[in-house]
Amino acid sequence: MISSVRRKLLALAGVVLPLAASAHHSTANYDMEHLVPLEGTVRTVSWTNPHITFVIAAAKVGGEEELWTFEASSPGVLGRSGWTKQSVRPGDQAVFYYAPLRAGGHGGLLSKVAFPDGRTVSYSLTPVD
Amino acid sequence: MGCKPGFSFVFVLLALTCFYFNFTISYAQGLPDFAGVWVPDVRDQVRQESANPPPWTPSVLPQIQHLAAEERAGRPFLVLDHCLPYGMPSWMLMTHSAFEFLQTPGRVTLLGEGDGNRMRRIYTDGRGHPEDVDPSLHGHSIGRWEGDALVVDTVGVAPQSYIAINEAVGIPNDGGMRISERIHLVAPNTLADDLTIVAPKVLSGPWKTTRLFRRYPERHYEIVEGECVQEDLAEGMDAYGNAIFVPHPQNPNGTAQLAH
Repeated sequence: MISSVRRKLLALAGVVLPLAASAHHSTANYDMEHLVPLEGTVRTVSWTNPHITFVIAAAKVGGEEELWTFEASSPGVLGRSGWTKQSVRPGDQAVFYYAPLRAGGHGGLLSKVAFPDGRTVSYSLTPVD
Repeated sequence: MGCKPGFSFVFVLLALTCFYFNFTISYAQGLPDFAGVWVPDVRDQVRQESANPPPWTPSVLPQIQHLAAEERAGRPFLVLDHCLPYGMPSWMLMTHSAFEFLQTPGRVTLLGEGDGNRMRRIYTDGRGHPEDVDPSLHGHSIGRWEGDALVVDTVGVAPQSYIAINEAVGIPNDGGMRISERIHLVAPNTLADDLTIVAPKVLSGPWKTTRLFRRYPERHYEIVEGECVQEDLAEGMDAYGNAIFVPHPQNPNGTAQLAH
């Protein structure tokens, strides 16, 4: 028998948990038609499933720094596109091309990274030659 | 010059014979070779969304239209919420992740990638379905080889398992679903899965559709460990200094938490 208090807690959890639930998700919340470049420095790399996450520090007008969060596809997809965990490392300076969040905010879906030495890394769900 | 054409010919013939027999044996007693890592043809998945949509029942169609509208508006529904496996038939219909096909005596196994515990066992040892199947997200699958095809019958899929055409549009099958598949090679490295999905609670009739998967043997792809919940966790340390994972919450739409 579940106590009324516990039932209420479970009901509350039912409301709260979906907001914290993890998921492999659609990219429909990103504007995939308009890639945007952002120059910045990698702060962190989370090489995780189902999506990889990069936190990028970018300078804004006035010299202050702001943080952006970009996600990418999975380690499997990026690995098949030639990436390793070392392809983009904390401290790397680069231009990050991303599909912006439709809702706005400092985030997006990372598509390509261009380094100052001319090296670029990108990925595709379907392997390309 | 010491050349012995006769010996060379015999040697080459022997080598080719050995290669042929190894080749044949590796094909598991003449069965078609599905072994390896297969990558879904995502572009074709997208084409199929409009070219051959499921015959949704009139009562279900408004739900689907709502989900499609939400997707177009940039508010995608989370079909793959809570890090559950895709389940059947969504795994075959709309995954973006690769899977590995293992052929062993009496069974075929599909190992997934990207979302935890994705595995299908298809028994090919002649057994039938249990009389009282325990519902599961991938159901109970039995298969038989018919010529160059693996013919699979799946029942016992949990009613919560989605019939999804992409990661944002799909609904639970609601129970009573049966899935027939004919898995076969249409090119040396292209696998076709011809599915017939009968789901009387949500489909007005059998839905026949095909999905394509491609193999790239020269690239030696491997399946990587894919725990979906990993993205919710960050590397941390407990009070004793042990390396642990600590919670790393996400946004309501499933994307990673913004940096600030």
